[in-house]
Amino acid sequence: MLILGIETSCDETAAALVDDGTILSNVISSQIDLHASFGGVVPEVASRKHVEAIGYVIKEAFDSAHKTPSGIDGIAVSARYGLIGSLIVGVSAAKSLAYALRVPLVGTHHIEGHIFAPILSHPEIPLPHVCLTVSGGHTMLVYVKGLCQYEVMGNTLDDAAGEAFDKIAKFLNIGFPGGPAIDRLSLRGKRTAFDLPRPMVNSRSLDFSFSGLKTCVVNMFRGKQQDAIPLPDVAASFQEAIVDVLVSKAVQAAERKGVTAISITGGVSSNRRLREAFRETCGRLGLEVFFPLPDLCTDNAAMVAAAGAARLDRGEVSGLDLNAVPTAPLESSR
Amino acid sequence: MRILGFDTAAPTNAIGLVDDDRLLADYSWEARDNSLQRIVLNIDQVLKRGGVRLEDIDGLAVGIGPGSWTGAKVGVTVAKTLAYVTGKPLCGVTSFEALAYQSRNASIQLCPLVHAGKETVYAALYRPRGKSLVRKGDFYVGDIEGLAAAVKEPTLFLGKPAHLYRQTLVRELGPLASFGSPSDSPSGCVFAWIALPRFQKGNTDDALSLAPLYLKESLAQALLLKRQQEAKS
Repeated sequence: MLILGIETSCDETAAALVDDGTILSNVISSQIDLHASFGGVVPEVASRKHVEAIGYVIKEAFDSAHKTPSGIDGIAVSARYGLIGSLIVGVSAAKSLAYALRVPLVGTHHIEGHIFAPILSHPEIPLPHVCLTVSGGHTMLVYVKGLCQYEVMGNTLDDAAGEAFDKIAKFLNIGFPGGPAIDRLSLRGKRTAFDLPRPMVNSRSLDFSFSGLKTCVVNMFRGKQQDAIPLPDVAASFQEAIVDVLVSKAVQAAERKGVTAISITGGVSSNRRLREAFRETCGRLGLEVFFPLPDLCTDNAAMVAAAGAARLDRGEVSGLDLNAVPTAPLESSR
Repeated sequence: MRILGFDTAAPTNAIGLVDDDRLLADYSWEARDNSLQRIVLNIDQVLKRGGVRLEDIDGLAVGIGPGSWTGAKVGVTVAKTLAYVTGKPLCGVTSFEALAYQSRNASIQLCPLVHAGKETVYAALYRPRGKSLVRKGDFYVGDIEGLAAAVKEPTLFLGKPAHLYRQTLVRELGPLASFGSPSDSPSGCVFAWIALPRFQKGNTDDALSLAPLYLKESLAQALLLKRQQEAKS
């Protein structure tokens, strides 16, 4: 089944063709440089950029796969969860294509896309497993009982982990997006240089909270000149605190459900230290750990096509009245 | 030529299907945030009522604004995607041209107005010339007094804000100001008819790069530009 995926929920305009689990094309037009001057994603700027890019991105997804629109069997689009002004662009394009081509349309949840990134990358991943999906927009622990069968086990109570990276990077004035900037700096720093809190790490709850950690770092260095701050040590210590919490909660979730595998997905899953720490801990505990292919960590449309294919396989089709919904619960298949 | 025209940038969303100067079908609805949900289904309805299949039309015309930013994004994205996938030519039509269309035979200057929020308007001035309209100067964004100050000759004000600001315009301009019908919301056919001569001349827009006419930067963009200018000076 050849599926076109479309993803515009935040600041990446993306389209991809996936044929029965094989990625034929995966086109991503990133707006990172544009938003860097603002130090974060500006919704109106993002949505205007999506309108400009969407046609080119869809065309490139077909052209680079040497396919034509008339060859596809269905269209999947991230329709729920994200910036409303951004979501509407992908949904407008997807329903127009579905109508003109007379193929089924399915609107998926953005988080469900991320859950499918490691599944698409490693078809051998066992089900059930626990999925930690973590980006600039969300931090969520999901028990993946089966394909399209979910139980949300934990969520962030305030900032997403990637958002905390962005805010600290902005405070330290080391660039946007914050994750890669901190990851790079931390290579030269000591992870134990500063004793930072591990929020909620001892709580029974599997929820996360990162805003206190962020405030702690800000209070430590407020008013200091940038050259008076040991940037690599701060970056390494801050990153270690976040990684510790993410690993600990994900492992707790896996133990609670008695699963043998954990997947980590979303933009933050490309963090070098996070991968290392998960491999160490999971190796010690005899848990398998799966990360997406490099191109499938941040927002992309291949994961959306994969999620949509699974939904279409279950006979789920959206009407042409499909709407974009900025906040919506992650729903299991019927 | 069979042209499908639609607009979701105005509060009243509109779709029309024409064959040269003949109206085949049209439909309008008050959008109330449902443009995205309704647009494709309603296009399908209009095409069915007109007895024309999407693959049998000769061109697409779409309203690009100014108006609702979200509405314009939906309309333009639907139009460019349909144009890409069907290979049909596409023309973008401004809200101003659509509002002025019904008065294109007037003998005086036309000034279509669109609400821009915070007691401001988007406006443009047009002179009828033969069968077409020629725009005078740049688009205007600002308060109604500023617009009135720029008007020096008899002018027909069009669109809903013309009626909201009627008293101010009459006070500032006296007998120079006249007004169109208060209920003038352009139908979808108007967008198709404005585009028709452009299709005939092959003067179409590039589907992939077509973008809405916003006429205002986002707040963040405006602040950034201001900061950059201050840093320069």
